[in-house]
Amino acid sequence: MSFREKCAWISFVLLVLLAAGFALGGHLRMDGIDGLHYFLALILGFALLQVLLRVIVARQAPQEARTPKDEREQLIDLKASRIGFYVLVAGVLLSMLLVHVHGNPWTGLESMVLAVLVSWAIKFAGEIVYYRRGR
Amino acid sequence: MVPPQLTITNTIRKLRFEHGEMTQQDLAERVRVTRQTINAIELGKYSPSLEVAFRIATAFGARLEDVFSYDSAQDPQSR
Repeated sequence: MSFREKCAWISFVLLVLLAAGFALGGHLRMDGIDGLHYFLALILGFALLQVLLRVIVARQAPQEARTPKDEREQLIDLKASRIGFYVLVAGVLLSMLLVHVHGNPWTGLESMVLAVLVSWAIKFAGEIVYYRRGR
Repeated sequence: MVPPQLTITNTIRKLRFEHGEMTQQDLAERVRVTRQTINAIELGKYSPSLEVAFRIATAFGARLEDVFSYDSAQDPQSR
């Protein structure tokens, strides 16, 4: 497995965990300072784990980590981003609909954050699939 | 699922063998792409840009048509 594919796996798994943590815990406790602390802890943990795991993977393949993305990897990145973009648009439209139905702006905000997280997770899932397929 | 028919084929594996069993990594460094990209090109999973195709040919000291060939008879879009 290439360095970039490993990075995509790391980002995908951590984003799924972050989205799950936000959807399960954060949603219930968003209305107060505890909710804010919970969300900040999730973000901080996500960022720290991303850096830590990517450093570990980069140490295993230092030469590959230093090499810039070539044309195939850039194409994979673009194709996966396009999928993520459509998911984000759908998620944001759904969030707007939720605000309209429930009349609660917090619901819309939470669902928009969730839409961003899910769209990024799907972007990295797309990258993994394209890397597996070779293009 | 039926794999897509390849209309662009290449002789990279043969040329690597003829150049002293050049590794994919060696070729990747000469062409300035990753080893995985060379592997994908060699297996016909990815068609490189013209620039990379020329760099591959140059790495072997060969002409582009000696490395890559296009079979229009197999291309369903050309029918």
